Amino acid sequence: METINAKIANIRENMMQELDSAGSSESLQALRVRYLGKRGELTQMLRSLGNLPPEKRPAAGQALNELRQEIEAALEARSLLIARAEDEAREATDFVDVTLPPRGRGWGGFHPVVQTMNEIIDIFVGMGFSVAYGPEIEDDFHNFEALNIPPHHPARDMQDTFYLDNGRLLRTHTSPVEVRAMLRWGAPLRIIVPGKVYRRDSDQTHSPMFHQLEGLLIDEDVSLADLKGCLNTFVGAIFGRPLDSRFRASYFPFTEPSLEMDVECFACSGRNPSCRICKGTGWLEILGCGMTHPNVLRYGGIDPDRYNGFAWGMGPDRVAMLKYGLTDLRVLFEGHGSFLTGGGY
Amino acid sequence: MRISWKWLNEFCKIPLSPEEAAERLTVTGCEVESIERPCSTLKGLIVGKVEKLQVHPERSDLFVAEVELGGPRVQCVTAAQNLREGDTVPYGAPGSVIADGTVLGKRTFDSVVSVGMMLSAEEIGLPGIADEFGILRLPAGLTAGEDLIKALNLDDCILEISITPNRGDLLSLIGLARECYGVIEGSTLEKQELKPPRIGDPGSVSWDGLTLADPGCPLYGLSFAPSVQIRPSPMGTRIRLAFSGIRSINNIVDATNYIMLVTGQPLHAFDLDRLPAREITVRGAREGERFRTLDGQDHTLAEGDLLITSGGIPVALAGVMGGENSEITAETKSVAFESAFFEPLRVSRTARRLGMGTEASYRFSRGVDPSRVLPTLSCLFEYLLKDGAHQVEENVRVVSSRSWEKRRIPLTRRKMHRVLLWDDLEQASKILQKLDLKEISATGEKRVFEIPTSRADLSIEEDLIEEVGRLRGYESVPSRIPPLLHGTGRVGDEVEAHRRIRVAAMSRGFLEIVTYSFINPKWVEWLRIPETDPRSRGFRLTNPISQDQSLMRTTLLPGLLQALQTNLRSGWKDPIRLFEVGRVFLPGEEGEDHRESLRMAGVSWNGKERRILHEPYLKDDVLSLKADVLALCGSRGQIPDFSAGSEPFGHAGQTAELRLEGKPCGYLTSIKPGILRELEIPGPVFAFELDIESLLPEKGFRFGQVVRYPAVYRDISLIAPLSRPAASVEEDLRKLGGSLLRELVLFDVYQGAGIPEGTRSLAFSLAYGDPGRTLRDEEVDAIHEQLRRNLSEKGYILR
Ligand SMILES: [Zn+2]
Repeated sequence: METINAKIANIRENMMQELDSAGSSESLQALRVRYLGKRGELTQMLRSLGNLPPEKRPAAGQALNELRQEIEAALEARSLLIARAEDEAREATDFVDVTLPPRGRGWGGFHPVVQTMNEIIDIFVGMGFSVAYGPEIEDDFHNFEALNIPPHHPARDMQDTFYLDNGRLLRTHTSPVEVRAMLRWGAPLRIIVPGKVYRRDSDQTHSPMFHQLEGLLIDEDVSLADLKGCLNTFVGAIFGRPLDSRFRASYFPFTEPSLEMDVECFACSGRNPSCRICKGTGWLEILGCGMTHPNVLRYGGIDPDRYNGFAWGMGPDRVAMLKYGLTDLRVLFEGHGSFLTGGGY
Repeated sequence: MRISWKWLNEFCKIPLSPEEAAERLTVTGCEVESIERPCSTLKGLIVGKVEKLQVHPERSDLFVAEVELGGPRVQCVTAAQNLREGDTVPYGAPGSVIADGTVLGKRTFDSVVSVGMMLSAEEIGLPGIADEFGILRLPAGLTAGEDLIKALNLDDCILEISITPNRGDLLSLIGLARECYGVIEGSTLEKQELKPPRIGDPGSVSWDGLTLADPGCPLYGLSFAPSVQIRPSPMGTRIRLAFSGIRSINNIVDATNYIMLVTGQPLHAFDLDRLPAREITVRGAREGERFRTLDGQDHTLAEGDLLITSGGIPVALAGVMGGENSEITAETKSVAFESAFFEPLRVSRTARRLGMGTEASYRFSRGVDPSRVLPTLSCLFEYLLKDGAHQVEENVRVVSSRSWEKRRIPLTRRKMHRVLLWDDLEQASKILQKLDLKEISATGEKRVFEIPTSRADLSIEEDLIEEVGRLRGYESVPSRIPPLLHGTGRVGDEVEAHRRIRVAAMSRGFLEIVTYSFINPKWVEWLRIPETDPRSRGFRLTNPISQDQSLMRTTLLPGLLQALQTNLRSGWKDPIRLFEVGRVFLPGEEGEDHRESLRMAGVSWNGKERRILHEPYLKDDVLSLKADVLALCGSRGQIPDFSAGSEPFGHAGQTAELRLEGKPCGYLTSIKPGILRELEIPGPVFAFELDIESLLPEKGFRFGQVVRYPAVYRDISLIAPLSRPAASVEEDLRKLGGSLLRELVLFDVYQGAGIPEGTRSLAFSLAYGDPGRTLRDEEVDAIHEQLRRNLSEKGYILR
């Protein structure tokens, strides 16, 4: 018994020492084989239990089993430590410079006008307006006559028109959709009409094609106050903060009264006489609007005595240019990658 | 329109600075675009009197003048030929500044010292007022040494006003004065009344008749000045015309323009002796009739144009311009003045068609005040008498076929309140009366107003509400968010589809562009689109700005390819993917006028000679773009079918036709190398175009069963003819694979050695599974074996 106990103590001591110095999973495996393998020291001792007198066997067996469990646990603990250390060493050499360019494709990019148009749409949808569409190739009736602009009327000079070889024209504004919508849905009505429009005009601030967003609200007892509230809310939402506004009298054949809305220059608020954005006036012209002319309501099959309404038309191109600080309208439609990605190459 | 501030103040005294008045006018609807001070650079100029004038002692082309300046005298050298002793002239002493900013000084001309300068019209900034070459000779009555600016009333400013087309009444000083009186608190109105002329037979001129043969001219007046002397207008007139942007011609023509500026009624002067007959008839032009206007231009007239004729010969294009055959010349002795009312739309149509926007046509198109037609002639004569161009006031010959009733318009409390949220009729009436509207009846709920004939724009109650609203100021109307919401606003399918697809595209590296809807018609040819293809039959603009923007696009491809070209030309080298969403315009089918179809198209170009780190990963081909197309359609829950297709511009072997539920919805292709060569785009370029309308019905996204039991995998490899699309082989596998075939993936395609000519080998990995249990191997073997047999029977060679 003495000798067995001494042997066990000896093995325990040796084993623990060697375990401490085992630095790799290989040396750990060697230890395992040496003690617990088929010919391992402990295995041999267990086999030699039969040589002991029967009354000593249980105690010796128990002691050996305890040692075996102890060794296994120690090996396991050591193995975890070594694996982690080895992983760390490997990760340290498996280095990727994360400042290298990415592989694969990045974000493409949006067009400022389409983006702005979508933002405008959402603002008005939030106020109960629904999106309506109409054709870009229009007839004289919808583009002019139904909007109270008879043939040869000088108001036609305000909008130089493109004509097509099929006798039609390219709509000069999104307003023709007003009458189409009234005829289709009747009153009450709240619609916005985003889309492209065309005028025979080209310079730095005019493009022969540009965008408009028309709005129309028809109901019982509509007031200029509703128009002002609706458009002031819009301005605050699109420019991110409430801006001062003013409404100037103006003229459009299809509204009566007719107004133009100016908003406070968001760049200088009128405090910079040489401001490039507002040219020192402190105001930015942003849209035309007014109360729908009774003749237009009649063309739309709506009784102007019972219902009235307001309408406006704005230029999302201009809003986008203001929002993103752009100066030349025409480059919007040339597809320059350098312009649209914001940095060139 | 350019308006002299001082002149305007003769008609309405305005107690504000020009800037303040401009602000107020702008807010109330007369947009003042700028305020100019034409003579503001001038400094220190005075009136000088030429006391002595001698030829320069050494140079015969120069004169030496002794100029009296109201005390001191100076010596001045000039090359001008037009001076006489006793003339008064503008003079600038050393240190004074002329129009172009030059500071004057002393100069010596061949030993004669010249102190300061005598000045021409141009040098004082008013080239238009010169009536001869040389130094500007001033009118008599000015004193030497007097301040020039004050003497000539040059300390004026010019308001450039943009008048809306409905306000013809504002194209006159009288009208504008009335507006100022209405909108500017504290202003006082002067000189509004015009004197009616004496009507009857002219005493000194024999005249046969006036005939109105076209309803386009309901009122025509003619008056005569039988003996006039043609000369330059007085200086004051020349300056005012110059300030108003009108060129001075001679005293007679200037008089008509000057009076037109005052009353808004255009006048025309005929040389009486050059009229073909002592008779005038106003009639409609005959189609194709020719006429030469006084600017020397020949015009071909159309039916509907109005002509003034004399003895059957046209002498003026009514309301637009007079004829060369009867215009006033230096030799003119007697004059007939015309003042008439022409139907606005008739004049407007003629002027627009002929591109002749004149001061007259501008005013007639917007409607002149019929009540001023004849009084304007008395105004003119008053002016001529004062000027001394003419001695006696003559009777006016008049013919008219219509009278003008003053319109009456009610203003009700209810409607005014509805729009302005304000119902003070008493106050409203006061506002309207300032604009010369006369209240003719009043009850608590309603007032009725009589409208002056000058205000043709006022015809319904809403017009009166506008007048009240704008004069009161729209800032006085409160602001509220519209109540009475009837339901939620809807973005709608089209916007929703557009948005989803757009975001999907941008996420996959596509850059959004917007290009013009009109393209160069050559694109049809460049893209080799045959005449049988409806895309070759786009609509043409009849009046394009330029040829390369003259055809309505029938596909989005040209815009994208052009953008690609633009980028390449500017040196772009990186791979680029572009997309656009927009409409194309196609000929209509059966009874349709035309068809507008919302499309989305994209192109991808792989970049050029750009060394990048991960080169192989960014190269697109038809199949990589197919993944994009599937992703875009997938964003709407749609999966299109791809089959071999053909496009006129597509690579014959790399073009797919896309279908949704059997209906064609677009293409995917590699652009023909030949086309790219012609477009100077180093290929390849991959492109697709989708019809967004076919993606509008969102296919409610489907979700599958949860799978809890793993599938069992088997491979199958078979040989199929090259002509059989992979999709059709897959379809066979699916059909023959039984209900437990859950998934199949094509993982290898091979053709070449070991495989018969004209065939290829396809290898698939098949997953069998049952959502409710784990399949046993034997079970799967049996199913798979059955599939192999079925495939053999179908004619496939299994490997
Ligand atoms: Zn500013």
